[in-house]
Amino acid sequence: MAQKYYWKGYLKLSLVTCPVAMTPATSESEKVRFHTLNRETGNRVVSQYVDSVTGKPVKDEHEAKGYARGENDYVILTDDDLDAVALDTVKTIDIEKFVPANSIEWIYLEKPHYLMPNDAVGNEAFAVIRDAMKADKVLGVSKLVIGRRERAVVLEPRDQGIVLWTLRFGDEVRPEEGYFEDIDEEADPDLVPLVQQLIKKKSAKWSPDMVSDPVQEALLKLIAEKKKLLKPSKATKGKAASAPASNVVNIMDALRKSVNAEIKGRKAG
Amino acid sequence: MAAGHRAQWKGFIKFGEVSFGVALYTAASTSDRITFNTINKASGNRVNRVFIDSETEELVAKEQQTKGFEIENGQYIVIDPEEVAATIPESNKTLEIEAFIPCSDVDDVYFDKPYYLTPDKMGGEGFAALRDGMKKSKVAAIARTILFRRMRTVLIRPHGRGLIATTMNYDYEVRSSKKAFEEMPRIKVEGEMLDLAKHIIGTKKGTFDPAAFEDRYEAALAELVKAKLEGRSLPKPKKVAVSKPNDLLAALRQSAGLLKAAADKPKRTAANANAGAGRQRATRGSASNAGAAKSASHRKAS
Repeated sequence: MAQKYYWKGYLKLSLVTCPVAMTPATSESEKVRFHTLNRETGNRVVSQYVDSVTGKPVKDEHEAKGYARGENDYVILTDDDLDAVALDTVKTIDIEKFVPANSIEWIYLEKPHYLMPNDAVGNEAFAVIRDAMKADKVLGVSKLVIGRRERAVVLEPRDQGIVLWTLRFGDEVRPEEGYFEDIDEEADPDLVPLVQQLIKKKSAKWSPDMVSDPVQEALLKLIAEKKKLLKPSKATKGKAASAPASNVVNIMDALRKSVNAEIKGRKAG
Repeated sequence: MAAGHRAQWKGFIKFGEVSFGVALYTAASTSDRITFNTINKASGNRVNRVFIDSETEELVAKEQQTKGFEIENGQYIVIDPEEVAATIPESNKTLEIEAFIPCSDVDDVYFDKPYYLTPDKMGGEGFAALRDGMKKSKVAAIARTILFRRMRTVLIRPHGRGLIATTMNYDYEVRSSKKAFEEMPRIKVEGEMLDLAKHIIGTKKGTFDPAAFEDRYEAALAELVKAKLEGRSLPKPKKVAVSKPNDLLAALRQSAGLLKAAADKPKRTAANANAGAGRQRATRGSASNAGAAKSASHRKAS
């Protein structure tokens, strides 16, 4: 798939500036997507804008963004207008600060993007900023206008490029105290070593196989079957999973049992 | 536990033969961004969205709509919502831990949304043992269950007295960084350039609290609208001067020199020009353009 950049601008460290481009690290393009159809004609259903007063369809070229000034009173803003908003952070990621790697709480990480040079002229400047962050084991902190908000962002050197994370706002993250305050601070010291043994037995390396999507696979299968027949057929029923034994009374016994089971070399789970 | 909050999901955690009751609570919400109304430029009126047949152009009522998958151009396989529902495995309400992975091994690019994970009244003992065992072993857990009508993988990690479960994006939703960066030139920076850049970083080291960050966009937008209404010309964005490869070393030297001079008289700049100004939202209409940037290409197709 050809790369379409989501944002283009500049990366800046003090007096060093280079042109960069950014693309989201995640995408829904591979997801099985359904379209809305008209049941009676089998045709695609599309949305259309109509004038709220005259009810007549509105041509694409007549659609404009309106900033509400009052009731039924809008100021029309063009994309050029919006680009003129007086914030340098629209076009420039100026790295203001560096913090130790791992010092940003994961809960604040909102959306990852890949940042890379956008012109050969900036390749070396980009590499300097990236490699210095790598050598010092730091993350860069900056801000950037993205989707009509100015967000705090962190930059993390990775491979040849930089991962840029937008961060959640303070009022988007709920204070944890209200959720965790009643939980025991200390675990039973006899239980922890058993848990650790179990952890050791069930240790694995991270692999993208861990995030497969069986529902998508089932949907693709369903689509393939229907394509073969090209007439509606009955859906295959999803297998019902068995309910777990949920009331383990004695955790110590259960842990021992688990560890023993693992020791026997059987795959648990 | 977590009195006063509504759980998103209640079920069990299971690892080995151990199982206890837990609940998931939304840890982060998404606040609205500024949205615009779509206006008909020709009349100045707001627009409404209607759904029409792409061929006959007649209105299609909600109950007349069904779902289809496009196989070839314009050819669709009709799939009923019940058929989609049948592909979702029945929920056993259990977050089954499939593996523990070293914290350093976690690829955060897969992170989707965080949830606070708490024990129910009976589950406190097992919960605390799991939490502390994971803390001591420096691992996170990979568990799967049916969440929000989809089989989801969550990454569970200890956090204070609790656990945080982060839903993970599916393999096909994440582009690998290796692939994204593979066409970039292999440049390794060494010597004076690297030393100068490290020096610059050294003068800018600090701590950062994301919670204290303030968004200045709304205020800037209000200013822009005001300027436009008053007929003032909008400022042209400043042209950004790019460092040329030949000037790079000079720019680094100059930056390092400047910062060194500045570091002699330490100053604390406010993190944000408008800190404390608060965040007022613009009035929003119902026919808003929310999510336009993300879904622009599919906007017309529902």
